[in-house]
Amino acid sequence: MAERRHVRRPPLLPVAIIVVFVAVAGLAGVASPADPYAQHLRARLAPPIWSEGGAWTHPLGTDRLGRDLLSRILYGARVSLAAGVVTVALAGAIGGGVGLVAGYFGGRTGALLMRVTDATLAFPIILLALLLAVTVGPSFTNVVVAIALILWARYARVIYGEVVSLMERDFIAQARAIGASPARIIAFHLFPNTANTLIVLVSLQVGYVIIVEAALSFLGAGIPPPTPAWGSMIAEGRDYITSAWWVSLFPGLAILLVVLAFNLVGDWLRDVLDPRLGQF
Amino acid sequence: MRRAILSPLIVLCLLTATPTWAQPSGGELSVVLSSLSSEALDPILAGHIVKFYLSLMFDYLVGATPDGQLSPDGGVATRWETSADGKRWTFHLRRGVRFHTGDELTAEDVKVSIVRALGPRSTTGYAQGLRQLVKEIETPAPDRVVIVTKDASVMIPTLLSRLLSTEGMILPKKYLEAKGDDGFARAPVGSGPYRFVEQVSGSHVRLEAVPSHWRLGAPKYKTVVFKAVPEETTRIAMLRRGEADIVEISRERMKEVEHAGYTVHLRREDGQIEGWFVQPWSQTPIRDKRVREALNLAIDRKELAETVFGGQAAPAAVPFGLSWSFPEIKFKITPEMVYAYDPGRAKKLLADAGYANGFAIDVFAFQLPGFPEGRAMAEAIAGYWQNVGLKPRLIPVDYPAFRKQWFDRTAPGALGYYNIANRDWIGTYALIDKYAAPTAKSASIRDPELDGLMDALIHQPDREKTYALMRSIFNRLRTEHLGLPLVYYHTPYATSKRIPRWNPGAVMYELNIDEVVAGK
Amino acid sequence: MRRFLAVRLVQSLTTLLLLSLAVFILARATGDPLSLVLPMAATEEDYTNARRYLGLDRPLPEQYLSFLAKAVSGDFGTSLRARRPVNELLRERFPNSLKLAAFSMTVSLLVAFPLGVAAAVRRGTMVDTVAKTVAGLGQALPTFWVGIVLIEVVAGRLQWLPAGGTGGLAHYVLPGFTLGWFVLAGLMRLLRSSVLDVLDADYVRTARAKGASERAVIWRHALRNALIPVVTFAGVSFAILVTTAVVVETVFAWPGMGRLAYEAITGRDFPVIQAVVLVTGAVVAAVNLTVDVLYVWIDPRIRYG
Repeated sequence: MAERRHVRRPPLLPVAIIVVFVAVAGLAGVASPADPYAQHLRARLAPPIWSEGGAWTHPLGTDRLGRDLLSRILYGARVSLAAGVVTVALAGAIGGGVGLVAGYFGGRTGALLMRVTDATLAFPIILLALLLAVTVGPSFTNVVVAIALILWARYARVIYGEVVSLMERDFIAQARAIGASPARIIAFHLFPNTANTLIVLVSLQVGYVIIVEAALSFLGAGIPPPTPAWGSMIAEGRDYITSAWWVSLFPGLAILLVVLAFNLVGDWLRDVLDPRLGQF
Repeated sequence: MRRAILSPLIVLCLLTATPTWAQPSGGELSVVLSSLSSEALDPILAGHIVKFYLSLMFDYLVGATPDGQLSPDGGVATRWETSADGKRWTFHLRRGVRFHTGDELTAEDVKVSIVRALGPRSTTGYAQGLRQLVKEIETPAPDRVVIVTKDASVMIPTLLSRLLSTEGMILPKKYLEAKGDDGFARAPVGSGPYRFVEQVSGSHVRLEAVPSHWRLGAPKYKTVVFKAVPEETTRIAMLRRGEADIVEISRERMKEVEHAGYTVHLRREDGQIEGWFVQPWSQTPIRDKRVREALNLAIDRKELAETVFGGQAAPAAVPFGLSWSFPEIKFKITPEMVYAYDPGRAKKLLADAGYANGFAIDVFAFQLPGFPEGRAMAEAIAGYWQNVGLKPRLIPVDYPAFRKQWFDRTAPGALGYYNIANRDWIGTYALIDKYAAPTAKSASIRDPELDGLMDALIHQPDREKTYALMRSIFNRLRTEHLGLPLVYYHTPYATSKRIPRWNPGAVMYELNIDEVVAGK
Repeated sequence: MRRFLAVRLVQSLTTLLLLSLAVFILARATGDPLSLVLPMAATEEDYTNARRYLGLDRPLPEQYLSFLAKAVSGDFGTSLRARRPVNELLRERFPNSLKLAAFSMTVSLLVAFPLGVAAAVRRGTMVDTVAKTVAGLGQALPTFWVGIVLIEVVAGRLQWLPAGGTGGLAHYVLPGFTLGWFVLAGLMRLLRSSVLDVLDADYVRTARAKGASERAVIWRHALRNALIPVVTFAGVSFAILVTTAVVVETVFAWPGMGRLAYEAITGRDFPVIQAVVLVTGAVVAAVNLTVDVLYVWIDPRIRYG
């Protein structure tokens, strides 16, 4: 199995795309031609420069409130990437923690935690996020927390499975024999052995989170305006796909590139780090 | 999924997908809207917002013309008069009106319907006002109904007419008693030109024509279907493919649809976008009249109308000043009533009130059915207020969440808004009452003088004096800046080529589908 | 086997119990449905009456127990918004969801098979890259955007297919394709790696060494072995598709369960929210249980839980 996979080189283009977008996110403040929040209602839906009527003041045109689209996409990189990364990190922490604890202690604790995990998995993702958004009102934090509160269960399942099989291995028995505390065993023996899996799972879902956020925006429960997030920009722009296509197309392209890049890198990481992990 | 072999099916799909332009006129009329809101089939269960289809199924006690006048030709009552003391209204009923069950409509049906509309189950818009007015209902003859009121009131015919809510819709007593409330709500029966066929929640309501109707003759279309299609691109595509005849479109995309060659009909001044400040004001800057004026002056209504509303709106000047109420009471908006866009004066007023450095103000941002610009408008308002030195904070919520905070009064001084449907002056009076009556949860205005005017009007038997009081109410609302009147919006509907002519009318929550289906 | 079944059954029921508690609490946390149901001018007294009439004045634990007791017998109460039995609404919506999910799953499987096999056999080549990109795009674009563009082009401009609503088979194509494309990536990836695994397995090498043609190897051995994980994934995705199609249902005006849930959430319609989540939870649990049992049936060594 290893022989066919070790030949895989890191996917250069996707990595480059991610690097570029991360840089853009970091430099949005410097690189943006305009304030992404500044409205100019009279200059709304201005086309990009290469179209008739376009001007350098707004290279990619403006949105429905006359805000500079390029600046919003640049700042949006910050928001959307942060949303993706923070969400999976949070979900990874919860899911990893639950999986480790449930796997280590087993018995009633493990069974109960796994039932909670299953219940979460049975909860339709978008509906739970909608319920939470409606309850606490949509905001960056709430959207991140809402998505993380569902995603963790997938990680918990997989990690739990790994830990259960690790528990039967000799080195755990030895650690126990010399009187290592549960916390120590989890932190120094179990966690390092499941970290790869977790990294793969998490990296595979950054893109997914960005897409889920967009879907929530479409339903009115995503990261709300005026914060520039790609998802809400596409959702807002959908009414203009025939008259002002640029409003949704450019953020759409940004999402497309980033999500594809993350998914390809995640695929590659899986092959390198944890080839046993199939589809989960 | 038994049909595992799919490729032949896909071919089949493509075959069955041949465009359906060739539909015969007179088949099905398809009305496609963004939402069927309450989806009610029972007039007393939030039926007023779906009047546009209920009024095909039911007849009103008092009819109305498409331009918003009471009419003896459009309702079950052919004439009505009041006693000398103004406390007895007698309605003479049309003979030979039959329910879809075949039973003839009589005074007993009228009585039962009104009593039911005022009953505890009812959630109609004007039940509350009617309950306070109506003392009893008499049926001296099968074709005569007398409504006795506690006070003299000029409002009774209008309140029971097609101009306002659904309290005046006539239901069959016998059928109601046989089916019970729940049974009726699922399989409603009326006496209108169309009878109920089926409803799929979240999708559509289908009606079927009766052979002949006193109001419209033999209806032109065998069936009428009202469909809910939330996404606008989908609605427009349905129009282009001939799947829809009348389509709700947004102000934003009206031009585009016109360019594509479709006729767009406007319901001009269909409603008013009205902003208000959540109570209690006492601890907030909103209590100061100068602040309220400044908040109004900071907004460029013309720009809002031309940009956010795609040019399909006109600046509004009077808080809760629904314009269809103006002609009858002879109210005119004078040039000085129109709020100028004057950020300079707004800043000065704020400074005079002691807020030279501005203050924080919450702006709720939400969309509403028929008001897709909601969030964009809230963002724009926040932008204007920022420009005069205030510190607006946008709170994106969904409408129910705002409504809860508004009713529970947990966001004092925050801005909320609604697209209030335009209506005649009696409807407007009742609406203002909801925002001003101190006991109402929805109360958003606190002004004793206004309360006095409102109270005087309800007890005023003289028509001209009533009109004068109503004018004073509008003047008071305007001079005290008791709200944030924004724009009157027009609502566009596009029609397919087989709809020759249609006036969507000027009656609250109506679409005047009557004209499209009328056989005479 | 019997013991395993019993254990899994108890586990599934516990899961559903937890789910019911979660949705009960969450639905109530969304706010007060009364201000939406009652007219604006309603007084405090109207509210009290309505609360009593709808049973919302009872203590929460009591409400929960009565909800649970009724739900077990298949009664989910009355919708606050529609004032109709929730079961009636479910009966209207559930078949629509099921049919759409079945259609999109079929489309997805039909595309995933050739794509996945081609990508595995020609791994590392352009074919592989193209296949992965085609599949990946379905997950890299927001479904609402894909749907809207399809409607604009295929229904609006070309006028080939209906834009929205339910009806004959033609109505399934656009929403089914939109939804199917979203699932495609997962299925394709799974097929690809299953085929790859099998291609490297010893018995396949033996078969090859014995002179079996590449085509025979793929069809006879690789695909047969890939079927189990693919069917599992398809089963689970199917259950998820039934309910998470909110966005697609909204775009295509498809009266399914997702849209029902969305309307219920925005209308604070507790009974409907609870019913949709529990019913879908039950579907997911049933699919998972079936898959597990099938696994054990096929390969008795497998035990997990």
